Amino acid sequence: MGNLHRIKKRMVRDAIAENILTLRNRRPDRRRDRGRRVALTVARVGFLLGLPAALFGSSYLLSNVADGWVARADLASASRLVRGLAASRLASREERPLDPSLTFAAPKPIDSSVLPLALHKVVLDPGHGGPNRGTAAPQGVPEKELTLDIAVRLRRLLERDGFQVVMTREDDQALSLKERAEIANEARGDIFLSIHVNWISNRRVRGVETYYLGPTDDPYLTELAAQENRDSGYSLADFRDLLERVYADVRQEESRELAEAVQRGLHDSLRKINRGVENRGVKTAPFGVLTRTEMPAILAEVSCLSNDLEASLLVRPSYRQFLAEALFRGVQSYAQGLTRNQTIGS
Amino acid sequence: MSETGEGGGKPRILNVGVDLGTSRSSISASNGEKHVIESYVGWPADMVARKVLKKDVLIGAEALENRIMLDLHRPLERGLIKEGSEKDAAAVRELLKHLISLVGLGDKRDGSQVRAVVGVPAEALRVNKQQLRNAMKGFVDSLMIVSEPFAVAYGLEALLHALVIDIGAGTTDFCVMNGRYPTEEDQRTLTTAGDHVDQQLSQLISARYPDANFSAHMVRGWKEKYSFVGDPPEPVKVTAPVRGKPTEFDVTEEMRAACESLLPPVIETMLDLISRVEPEYQARVRNNVILSGGSGLIDGLGAALQEALGEVGGGQVRVVKDPVYVGSDGGLALANDAPASDWEKLAA
Repeated sequence: MGNLHRIKKRMVRDAIAENILTLRNRRPDRRRDRGRRVALTVARVGFLLGLPAALFGSSYLLSNVADGWVARADLASASRLVRGLAASRLASREERPLDPSLTFAAPKPIDSSVLPLALHKVVLDPGHGGPNRGTAAPQGVPEKELTLDIAVRLRRLLERDGFQVVMTREDDQALSLKERAEIANEARGDIFLSIHVNWISNRRVRGVETYYLGPTDDPYLTELAAQENRDSGYSLADFRDLLERVYADVRQEESRELAEAVQRGLHDSLRKINRGVENRGVKTAPFGVLTRTEMPAILAEVSCLSNDLEASLLVRPSYRQFLAEALFRGVQSYAQGLTRNQTIGS
Repeated sequence: MSETGEGGGKPRILNVGVDLGTSRSSISASNGEKHVIESYVGWPADMVARKVLKKDVLIGAEALENRIMLDLHRPLERGLIKEGSEKDAAAVRELLKHLISLVGLGDKRDGSQVRAVVGVPAEALRVNKQQLRNAMKGFVDSLMIVSEPFAVAYGLEALLHALVIDIGAGTTDFCVMNGRYPTEEDQRTLTTAGDHVDQQLSQLISARYPDANFSAHMVRGWKEKYSFVGDPPEPVKVTAPVRGKPTEFDVTEEMRAACESLLPPVIETMLDLISRVEPEYQARVRNNVILSGGSGLIDGLGAALQEALGEVGGGQVRVVKDPVYVGSDGGLALANDAPASDWEKLAA
């Protein structure tokens, strides 16, 4: 009884402490300490490895795209281990098969809301770096250089407008996707914008597209995500967590809104000087860099190096400045949307 | 009213626990009052409706009954205030105001102080909590927001080596209790819950009986009456009009399929959370799984979860038989246990 009383007292104290942090608009550190997390990760892997082989089968968490992505990260064996108990249990009911249309919808994100939020700190993530050059036009500058240049230009614009900016890299540095997310989380950024340049096999295509985290069944997006997920820095132990974040990301609504604002900013601006640039839309894909960030997070493919015209434009500083300005307008528009919501909610 | 510090010029204190649900909301107060209402708010759609109803706003069952004359809102979606509509934000305020008034405190509170603990989905964002805090302004003096499954666990005193699964209408919330205040890693929220079952059921019945004419409210009623997983207690037969003529339909298989659509995500999340418990305590947690929430009452659901636990060494699932007040009672217990000095820091 005394033990229960002590536990309750501690819980009440902690609940109050968390509420006080919320009142102060600070994020409580609700995760366990690192040592304990490591120990539990080991335990978890052991648990998963112990699941009987009978668990093979479909799972609500797994899809073709997830398999594709995981296979790229050499984690295919893990997928077999965690395939769902529940679905196989249902599948075994052969006497009453389910209507194929009755697919088990993936968990939807908790709604974003009419929020009294402000956007202060932007984390910019120039894609690739170091030995990971990204894509490149045969005669041109590699993607890693272009993304860094655009990010630096964007930083200037944002800082001039009063935003705080954190860069995941400021030089030709090799960073894993995991490290990029950790930098963003430690900086407590309000949004995360990863900048990339696209390569599309149909080289006549040119356009812009923006992604936020989520599943996809589009083979093109699967391949693209697999390319961008190289050097992820994630291990087998992270597998379950990553999948879960892809499918049940609570930030999804906010990320979608940010992606829409940035995509709009990009396309509306670019079509003025790059006629025929295609609006390839806002999409979801399981990009590793977006899985661990704790804020609304998007990945923008701002141009196509595979297209000769865009490749030639990208080497011009003025065009890269234009791209940075287009991204800036997108971020600004998103920030203004938040302010409007604040007014409505007040 | 109860209440500490009566007399001597000190304000009377009323502690309340609130379970703000997508489908139903309940309140438990330290003066012994307990109430549950349907989470619906409606405003008369026009002057005629206003004249007929003689009210500016209708709440709960009354709103549902008169829905054809109302601009009806179910303002909580997945346990949170809906996005983007001033009307829904206003509806939440009306709902809260009504709940508080039900336990004996209206607009005039005679100087009484209200301290509230409100449960929200386990993974509610910080910003959602702030939004709720804004909605509560003016109705309570101090406010503590906790995760709903934690409130349930606290109320049941299942604080050590337990897993609470709270299946409501909008969300399914999970919380592992390890003897300390749960962290993010101990909790999960799925949006596969009661409303998801309603959607599935509606789609399946429409597919099989395209001529049947039924509403979302009818589907929800059928689910609440007949839901099951596994073997049906009896064939499920419902009545709906076909071109105006009441017709009976057998929806047994549709009901089963819709309800069983909850199982894969719930079981997988349950097993995953258990796998994250320190190994020496996993068996204890497996044997102390508590199934709560309105949708937790689906016939056979507890047994199905227990069967799934059998695959990883066995366990026991207890179903909370009267889940209506378990969240608000837990909130009230928390409110009663919080020291007065701490409440001052949580002014709304």
